[in-house]
Amino acid sequence: MAHSESCDTNTTITLTIDGRDVQVPAGTTILEAARTLDITIPTLCWLEKISTTGACRVCAVHVEGVARPMTACNTPVKEGIKVTTQSPELEQIRRKTMELMLVNHPLDCPVCDAAGECDLQDTCYGLSVAKQEYSADLERLPIRYDWQLLESDPNRCILCEKCVKVCREITGVGAIETQSRGDRAVVETVSGRPLDCDFCGNCIAACPTGTLISKPFKFSGRPWTFEVKQGICGFCSSGCQIEYHVRDGKVARVTSDDSTYNNGNLCINGRFGYSAFNAAERLTTPLVRGVDGLQKPASWDAALATAVSATTEIVAKYGAKAVAGIGSPRATNEENFLFAKLITQAIGSPNLDSEARLGYAPAQAIQSRMIGMTGATQPMDALEQAGCIIVLGSDLKAESAGFGYRVIKASTKRDAKLVIASARPTSLDGFANSTLRYKAGSEGFVALGLAKAALNQNKLNAGSSEGLDGFKQSLAATSFDQIQAATGLSEAELNDAVSFISGPVAVIYGYEFMRSADSAAAVTGAVNLALLTNADLYPLDEKNNTQGMLDMGVMPADGGKDLFQIIDAVESGEIRALYVMGSDLLQLLPNRARVEAALKKLECLVVLDLFPTATAQLAHLVLPAAAAAEKAGSFTTVDNRTQRFGAAASPAGEARPDYVILGDLYARLTGGAIPSLSALQQEIVPVAKKRLERPVVAAVTPQAHAAGSMTLLIAPFLRHNGSYTSWSANNLQVAPSATLRLSPADAAKLGVAEGDKVVVTANGAQANLTVQIQPTIPAGLAVAPTHFRTAGLNSLQTKPAASLTVTVSKG
Amino acid sequence: MAQVVFSTWGRNVVDNRNVAGEPVAASFRLPVAFDGQQPLRAFMGWDGLIVFDKDVDVPAMAAEYMQRVQTLYCCGKCTPGKKGTKVLADLLTKVVSGQAKATDLDQVADLNGLLQNCKCTLCPSSTQPILDAVTHYRADFEAYCTGSRTPKQEKYLHKITAPCMDKCPAHIDIPKYVEEIKNYQYSDALATIRENMPLPAVCGRVCPHPCETACRRKNVDDAINIMVLKRSASDYEWLHKLQHPANTVPMKNKTVGIVGAGPAGLAAAYYLALQGYRSTIYETLPEGYGGGMVAVGIPAYRMPRHLLQRDIDIIQAMGVEIVYNCRVGQDLSLAELKAKHDAVFLAPGAHRSKPMGVEGEDAGYKGFLKGGIDFLRDAYMHRPTGMGKKVVVVGGGNTAIDCVRVALREGAEASYLVYRRSRKEMPADVWEVDGADEEGVQFEFQVLPTKVLADANHQVTGVECVRMALGEPDASGRRRPEPVPGSEFVIECDTVIPAIGQDMDLSFIPPDMGIDITKWNTVVTKSLPLKDAAGKALNDSMGNPLSRTLMTDCDGVFAGGDAEIGPLTVVACVGNAHRAANVIKRWLEEGTAYLTEQEVFEDLLTYLGVYDKNEQVAWLDSADRANQQEVHGKERACKGNYSEVELGFSDSTAQAEADRCLRCYRMAMVAL
Repeated sequence: MAHSESCDTNTTITLTIDGRDVQVPAGTTILEAARTLDITIPTLCWLEKISTTGACRVCAVHVEGVARPMTACNTPVKEGIKVTTQSPELEQIRRKTMELMLVNHPLDCPVCDAAGECDLQDTCYGLSVAKQEYSADLERLPIRYDWQLLESDPNRCILCEKCVKVCREITGVGAIETQSRGDRAVVETVSGRPLDCDFCGNCIAACPTGTLISKPFKFSGRPWTFEVKQGICGFCSSGCQIEYHVRDGKVARVTSDDSTYNNGNLCINGRFGYSAFNAAERLTTPLVRGVDGLQKPASWDAALATAVSATTEIVAKYGAKAVAGIGSPRATNEENFLFAKLITQAIGSPNLDSEARLGYAPAQAIQSRMIGMTGATQPMDALEQAGCIIVLGSDLKAESAGFGYRVIKASTKRDAKLVIASARPTSLDGFANSTLRYKAGSEGFVALGLAKAALNQNKLNAGSSEGLDGFKQSLAATSFDQIQAATGLSEAELNDAVSFISGPVAVIYGYEFMRSADSAAAVTGAVNLALLTNADLYPLDEKNNTQGMLDMGVMPADGGKDLFQIIDAVESGEIRALYVMGSDLLQLLPNRARVEAALKKLECLVVLDLFPTATAQLAHLVLPAAAAAEKAGSFTTVDNRTQRFGAAASPAGEARPDYVILGDLYARLTGGAIPSLSALQQEIVPVAKKRLERPVVAAVTPQAHAAGSMTLLIAPFLRHNGSYTSWSANNLQVAPSATLRLSPADAAKLGVAEGDKVVVTANGAQANLTVQIQPTIPAGLAVAPTHFRTAGLNSLQTKPAASLTVTVSKG
Repeated sequence: MAQVVFSTWGRNVVDNRNVAGEPVAASFRLPVAFDGQQPLRAFMGWDGLIVFDKDVDVPAMAAEYMQRVQTLYCCGKCTPGKKGTKVLADLLTKVVSGQAKATDLDQVADLNGLLQNCKCTLCPSSTQPILDAVTHYRADFEAYCTGSRTPKQEKYLHKITAPCMDKCPAHIDIPKYVEEIKNYQYSDALATIRENMPLPAVCGRVCPHPCETACRRKNVDDAINIMVLKRSASDYEWLHKLQHPANTVPMKNKTVGIVGAGPAGLAAAYYLALQGYRSTIYETLPEGYGGGMVAVGIPAYRMPRHLLQRDIDIIQAMGVEIVYNCRVGQDLSLAELKAKHDAVFLAPGAHRSKPMGVEGEDAGYKGFLKGGIDFLRDAYMHRPTGMGKKVVVVGGGNTAIDCVRVALREGAEASYLVYRRSRKEMPADVWEVDGADEEGVQFEFQVLPTKVLADANHQVTGVECVRMALGEPDASGRRRPEPVPGSEFVIECDTVIPAIGQDMDLSFIPPDMGIDITKWNTVVTKSLPLKDAAGKALNDSMGNPLSRTLMTDCDGVFAGGDAEIGPLTVVACVGNAHRAANVIKRWLEEGTAYLTEQEVFEDLLTYLGVYDKNEQVAWLDSADRANQQEVHGKERACKGNYSEVELGFSDSTAQAEADRCLRCYRMAMVAL
């Protein structure tokens, strides 16, 4: 609706279109009103999810009494108007407008990537544009071959501006703009230099012609030769609904329709991350470690038989508790359910956990205690109704882009106020009314400070929460001076931040909070803040099925060991066999050297994975698994939406879906039948989640910790997701390796320039990184990405905390 | 006397090309010579074509006009505009290069029709003079087609404008910033505004927005809310704590001394800084009270002080120094100032209250205050105002309204406004009068104060007044108010504030400086000798010469703002000072103070008028104008409450309001 923001949409307007009466809410456009009558008006520049443009002019209609054609797409209805959408005169306007559009349009349709899915072709055909009365001097514009992942041929552009608007309004980037004048007007980068953006490719999807195309997809086939299959994106926790375009069992591209929950919006991982599925490094056959210590290809039967016999032997010798399992936030609900069953029932060990132990799982345990449920209290589209959104410790677009897009929409189109607290600059800072740049590690104090400021500013609306009085007393125990000493944030800054609390509030908390050095205080504080402001609460995780995995019971059973205890027990020899599904422990866990030494002690390490990860390389048995596109199942997002999907592509080589591998193992270990996917789905009891009627505000005392002169924050970055996309050639094209982002002040102090090498040292380990200078990073902070296998940043860590004191020196 | 050879301007055809006998009389608001020297030979624009010189090559001019529209201004953001003007421009170029057939000219009318479906008005309006030319000068075009003619070398100048940006004295590119808001580009919108308006928070709030009186959307339904959209762009930066753009221009050695930190002084300093010239502003008031009349004359409930200060801080960050507590003429002589700097800009404003001319006003009564502007300044600076409990303010302008409303906020129990004409004749902005009404101000319209009454202690006790009625029409046809005999009455009060206007205090300018002052007490600056066909000098709406360099008769000393224009508006002062900054730069670099052809053209278009209130604008009136919300109720004016009354737009409302804009750009071109 063109004017819904300012119009009273409760009013109903009656108008006549082509002689038929229709009633629509005020603010509706003529185009939308016509659609309710199934009257089709041609359009090229109209896209429901962006503001109207009115560029192509082919939706011209006649309104009685108005002496010029009006464009249906951006003209709101008015009481009593009589609209004509079809007449010889309108047809002529539309046809001639199309003729003008085609003046000097290149005739390279035979080799244009858009052929077959070109709106320009379709519209010309639909309007019978069969001749050309107009001509003009031909001036060809240079094609941008020098962009990564995208190519732009401005000669094909009809300047509908959909790409420009999607880039600005949906993804909040604004990397491209219409530049130059007249017939030379082109969509160009704002800087004129090669594209440097999120590389989400939403502009490609919006382009009605072959102007903006995907380079990886270019010339890989005509659109109609691919099978299009629905899927759920297997990268982040937003759970975008996607379409895999598949031929010969391989994913050739990924798109999403605007009618989906995610409005067709994807991020780089969703759109381009598929090249990980097709990576040459994919494991294509089971590997069994021989007596010489080398992993060698084996048949599935041999590999599984080896796994079963080794496991049975260890159980017989040391008992079932000598076995442990690590589930996967990448695997489906069905697979995690079966994995839990395999470990706890078929093998009989309570030692079951996952990488979620590093942050998300304990955070959900706290949430469970305080509000009675895990995951978000509302689906993410509720964010669009928020009056104020408080983001705690997350770069939303890097961690879970779907949330980022919703928050951008809420703040730009729905007038939500936005408060972002993060130790580092985030991709949404430009939209924020308040940006609280705190010292990494002080997250507990940040949450406390916000609660304290909100109390002082009469911004509390704690409803029926329990423990409020005690909590208020505990607030009094910490002064703003103490908060400032810990966080660097003044009372005035905190007061300013809470001044934006109005209307329905949403609190989103992410990586920096869950992986805080004082994570219990940080998470408790985040939940407190949500309770105190009667807010919807959204925990975030970077990976697609962390919440589903927990819902499926991948956590220690009674008397079982958690992730850290499992590693300890492996080190001590108490645990002798370990099953790891889709989780590169060696890259994820702190104390990498110690973990590596421990894992090497195992008598049986079974790894199910897509890639020869560092962990897989230590395994006795490597079982090649299928990627998200290659299997059926379901994922559950952090906002508790469970979405099923079918298999779209074929697994690489002999790889099999985890549920097939696990089912086989389960059958072999129990002597029963291999459970089918549908049997598993029937067996799974859906988790009923409900917020406590009287949630509990918990008094909390954050711990001050001493920080050195340089703090390293290791966190998720844009352009990657987990370590998964570090196997994706497409992602690596635009983010090839780990960099260390430094403030200009620190770079000057170190005497390093952009691109120089530095050595980061902590806890007796070091990592070599390339410097990237970012003016928005505060002095004393260095930021590095979690994603790269080779960077070895977890060697520096002794705890799961995302931030640690390091020394940086010139390399 | 220059004669119109041919014209279609205003859709009215005047053709004197082949008339025998007396030519048809036609006159336009244009000078005979573009800048007082170069004869204006032809004018081409949105409303047609005017030819003053029969030798003007109309086809060549038309071809050039279309090429300039297509390559310089067509935004390319709609199909008929982007492609249609390209086809037309190339067609006309082919014609004048002898490569076209006469029948090709038929496409001009076809495209003119098709371009009526454009997104905005630039391209469709540009086809009008072309169609007129092809229609009425067909033989000339055909002569090119047959190769019997070649183009003459002529000098053309063009200027892009729009009704709103023409009417805005600061010439802000309004369609551009409105479009940027429509596209959610608030920072870009603010950058556009700042190109011509360094006080966006101020002019987003208190501007009388003459632009809106020239908004073509008014011909459909209501004007775009241009002022509040400016506020939206400005507040976005503040509300999102975005860093204002930095001045990256390297600073040069020459400096400029500026008298007065009001809108004109600040604007001149800002634009000088952006061109690399540091300036020092000498301000009479203490630090914290910069802003001139905006600070002392506009109360905080209309213009929050922290936002005024924010605009000033940003101007200073560009490389501007402000010396407070320095009255030029007292703490520093003008001659000293001139010696200290390479150029001087006088922008002292108009801060002296005018006398009322009633009995008792000069008796020194307690409770009879000096003037409205003094009262507002004292109230703002927390100085004793001398106000009692029952206040009578005399006057009908915005200052009078500000006084009655401030009186309430200063604790007055009763606040009266006495004005000799009717409510609708008040020069004050309607919304200000309504605001005072809502706050409980009592109005006495068509009432003339005749005598200030006082008791034995010389304390004011009331004002004697007489009611007025409209008399017989005078020579000008206007009915003047006249006292109604026997209608005398007394308004009891303890305070009387005359607020009938301000005057300039130019006593700081020594007579020996060679700076001339008009009989209206404004500084004389140099102007171009622009004359119309009748030989009459062209003046602006204030009666000043139309095109002025703003340099006084004393070389290197420039003047602007209220002291040069006469008391007017913030936006007029800003526009005037921006021009002064540009001329000062030329003076500093080239040693001459002159106007560019673009600046002269700008003045000529303003004189001609770009907005036509009688134009029939075809558009569906289905999107209503959005108005900002405000705090209601008498509490908003309770004692000490200077909180802002008007609340601006939410971003989504701003975006929707911006979407109503018709983007009425148009290009004018002259042949000289």
